Amino acid sequence: MIIPVRCFTCGKLIGDQWEEFARRVKAGENAGEVLDGLGIKRYCCRRMLLSHVELIDEVLRFYEEAEKRKEARHYY
Amino acid sequence: MVRYGVSKQVEIKVLERDDRNIRLLIRDVDIPFMNALRRTVTSEVPSMAVDDIVVLENSSVLQDEIIAHRLGLVPLKTDLKSYNLPEECSCKSEFGCNLCRVTLTLDAEAKEGTRTVYSGDLVSENPEIVPVSDKIPLIKLAKEQKLRLEAYVRLGKGKNHAKWQPVSMCAYKYFPRMTIASKRCDACGKCAEICPKRVLAKSENKIVVRDLMACTLCQDCVNACPQNPPAIEVGGEENAFIFSLDSTGALPPEKILTEAVKILDEQLKELESQIKVKKSEES
Repeated sequence: MIIPVRCFTCGKLIGDQWEEFARRVKAGENAGEVLDGLGIKRYCCRRMLLSHVELIDEVLRFYEEAEKRKEARHYY
Repeated sequence: MVRYGVSKQVEIKVLERDDRNIRLLIRDVDIPFMNALRRTVTSEVPSMAVDDIVVLENSSVLQDEIIAHRLGLVPLKTDLKSYNLPEECSCKSEFGCNLCRVTLTLDAEAKEGTRTVYSGDLVSENPEIVPVSDKIPLIKLAKEQKLRLEAYVRLGKGKNHAKWQPVSMCAYKYFPRMTIASKRCDACGKCAEICPKRVLAKSENKIVVRDLMACTLCQDCVNACPQNPPAIEVGGEENAFIFSLDSTGALPPEKILTEAVKILDEQLKELESQIKVKKSEES
């Protein structure tokens, strides 16, 4: 749903790296190189970021749309 | 120089260190001691974590339990001097007092569109006890969603819950020793090729050890050697270990180690006194 705070296997803090990782990979950088740059060495921590899908963004879209509809009703 | 039980001189060399990680070369100790040290670090050294939360308002998409779990895992900078373990605190209360509890509050509302609530939004009672990183996403709120809560931080030990472990990784391995029989070795380079850590390298017509520390003692190079018996031998050095420790950021790595040694020392003294009591009962 949302990026886990820590690596499931070793417990290293990885949550704070997610936004930078996602932004740089989206900009076209090589994911492996970004992970190396962030200092994430072990493969357990690397898979946390590599395989993560931020599903909460999809869920929140329903709430955003509902809010938009509510505003539109006010407008008319 | 530190002395331990049997009159042996323990030699410690720092191989690598930065603010989170440390790698040591420790000589002249035995495996039981190394293992005791490792286990003390992971399960006995106290650190701080959120233990109880009171949710005042939560209209977000995540349930209270999930938020509680996420908050628990947020590593916090720990002050071992000013705070007591709740079970050893003089207040004896289940709820805790100023000496064994810190309160964090969170009051977040998405006023204009979707927003992410970060660990930096937690307001601490004590400015010393704050999350290690301000950028950990705790939750995302859509417009008009609210999250208000109070979180109670206390000291705890890794044996009770992994969130109180001050380290993310703490392990030791044998110090590798490699011997290449230069007479039998014909420098075919097969061992250098198969090594997953690129420890060996072929230079001219000799095999040289490039990075001994990286060796994992996997024995692939020994198996790859076409000579019989193999011209290369890989093993661990006796009583020499590489000890590596990754702190979560709660405590600096050297502090974790000194704290672990102190705790181990106290436990051994306790054991000694128990044995003395038992002996005096028998005699």
